[in-house]
Amino acid sequence: MSKRPLLSTRNLHKVYGKRDTRFEALKGIDLDIYEGESVAIIGKSGSGKSTLMHLLALLDKPSQGTIKLNGKNTSKLHTSKLNELRNREFGFVFQSFFMNSNDSVLNNVILPLKINGIGFRERRRRAMEALRVVELADKAKNKANDLSGGQKQRVCIARAIVNNPKIIFADEPTGNLDSATGERIEKLLFGLNKKKGITLIIVTHDEELASKCNRQIHIADGQIINDSGSKSINAEDFDGDGDNDGMRDHNTTKRIDVEED
Amino acid sequence: MKLIDIIKDANVNLLRNKLRSFLTILAIFIGSFSIISTSAIQAGVNDFIDSQVDSYGGDGYLAIVSKDSFDALEGLQGAMGGGGGLIEYNPDKIQTGMSPVTEEQIEKLKKIDGIDADSIVEEKTLSISYVTSEKTDKKYLITAEALPPGNIKVDLVTGKQLDLRADEYQILLEEKYADALGYSNKDAIGKKIQLIVVDEYTHQEKTFDAKIVGIIAPGVVSMGYQYTNNKLADDIYDENTKYYPEEVKSQTFAVAANYDFEKYSSDDIKKELEEIGLSAMTIEDIIGTIKTFFDVILTVFKIFGLIALLAAAIGIINTLFMSVQERTREIGLDKALGMSSAKVFFSFTIEAISLGFWGSVFGIIVSMVIGNAANAAFHAEGGFLEAFPTFNLATYTIPDMISVTILIMAIAFLSGTLPARRAAHKNPIDALRYE
Repeated sequence: MSKRPLLSTRNLHKVYGKRDTRFEALKGIDLDIYEGESVAIIGKSGSGKSTLMHLLALLDKPSQGTIKLNGKNTSKLHTSKLNELRNREFGFVFQSFFMNSNDSVLNNVILPLKINGIGFRERRRRAMEALRVVELADKAKNKANDLSGGQKQRVCIARAIVNNPKIIFADEPTGNLDSATGERIEKLLFGLNKKKGITLIIVTHDEELASKCNRQIHIADGQIINDSGSKSINAEDFDGDGDNDGMRDHNTTKRIDVEED
Repeated sequence: MKLIDIIKDANVNLLRNKLRSFLTILAIFIGSFSIISTSAIQAGVNDFIDSQVDSYGGDGYLAIVSKDSFDALEGLQGAMGGGGGLIEYNPDKIQTGMSPVTEEQIEKLKKIDGIDADSIVEEKTLSISYVTSEKTDKKYLITAEALPPGNIKVDLVTGKQLDLRADEYQILLEEKYADALGYSNKDAIGKKIQLIVVDEYTHQEKTFDAKIVGIIAPGVVSMGYQYTNNKLADDIYDENTKYYPEEVKSQTFAVAANYDFEKYSSDDIKKELEEIGLSAMTIEDIIGTIKTFFDVILTVFKIFGLIALLAAAIGIINTLFMSVQERTREIGLDKALGMSSAKVFFSFTIEAISLGFWGSVFGIIVSMVIGNAANAAFHAEGGFLEAFPTFNLATYTIPDMISVTILIMAIAFLSGTLPARRAAHKNPIDALRYE
């Protein structure tokens, strides 16, 4: 494939502890993820799949190896630049939601924009837009705690897309939900992948969910044991004008801007 | 993240745990209350003393006596159990009584650099037999003296200052005299009272009609003296001393003068005076002892307030450590979503500062309410400050309030840094895993 990968890792190692307690969670991962893909990272608990996601999401640093984001080596980036990248380019969806349950739905969705320092009016407007996407605009004023599990996860998805991310990292997004609500969440995520071209990286042990992604990477003992490989993705699937509904308007000129400084 | 958002969130977080925040603020409140109350009392006392000082003489005022008189006074004080030690008898010196300031010394005094020669006045002790008025048959004893020179403002309840050079007889009276002589404060102004001097030998009475120009606010410095202008003082003195030989008449025991306090230190001036055999006291020397006494007491109270604040600081640390513990996952999420460690640190220190701010503001408000109520109660009939209407026991000044608030916020910030550091150092992944 001639296209440059969005995320690329080479010889990625992650070691926890020292001497007696030393544990190698990742043992040399080489991986290229392209823009617009939906990737499932599958593995049993302890396989290293979560560790891999944390490294890809720049939440943690590898013990060895490189992670390139849009061709730029991230290990040389300053913490503040990493914070900014996570804030602007990534969205996160977690199995156990992680919401401020005493706060309103709207304030939960606003959080990434507030951290970014966006003004009150603008961030409110964008959060309402994100809530409309997950069909929860009418619950904006509700306390997050009063929502059902499925609704909570939808709020989390709204929070993940409120900053128009390039990549959404989802860690067992349906793990805490029954199959019907789980399906709705899946639809939402794959819809965002297809319509808005947001790259989706899902960590799961659920083969069924994984099979809905266009690429499956199996991990065991810190190594990739099977990669279905990236299929060719037709840019028109997600970049067509017809599908643009405003969420990514300004993204036609916006690139992931990683400077090596 | 914007500062305004951090401040807002900090206060929202405080409201999440209302009881805990309230108790922490209560602890700070106690410290704030005691410090601002002490400051207010200190300001009140100092204001009062300063107004009294003004009534006695400005900053450049010097009360001058001969060195021998000064030593004799000190010796007397020592013998009476005052500050100084006992003084041995010396037959070559006059030690038992006052010795006069000589003409020669006054001439030398005029030539000392820094002394305003025109301001030098010989103090005359006036002997008035009694005072009375048209409104009463009663006769009262009275002590009065000429107001010392310089730009002196007597602390007045009503009326205006004396015109020292006026050709008429003028007097400033204490309220109790005005009352006793049948005049209430306001309509006393412009009225005449009669000062009577009875001759010691002939028992002839001489009456001086003096116009009341102002009513003196009760105070400690005037010590029961009424003030007259120069003309009245001179004429009474002449009447007192009309049989005295000329050399006695011109004798003077005390001199008042002003020195240039902006250019010269009082110690330098005192040294110069000592060389010509004179001793001087500045207003600070006279008032200083009272001030020191109050300052010591109030400083002790302030230290108590600071100790209370120290305990409150530990309360802040404890509260915030609990808060960090409770919000571990929240901190993890914030950091995962790109909040910097510095911002996490600030959000917790600002929470601490907010605790300090509210504690100090409530302390100040409650102290002001109580202080003003106390002022009113003390000045009411039967209150212990009834006699001192210009003395506000608690005086709240804006700089005091601001500095107390800033001090407490600084202490709160310092106590907040400990928990805030722990929060800032949390690893987002560990924090998100935390159950």
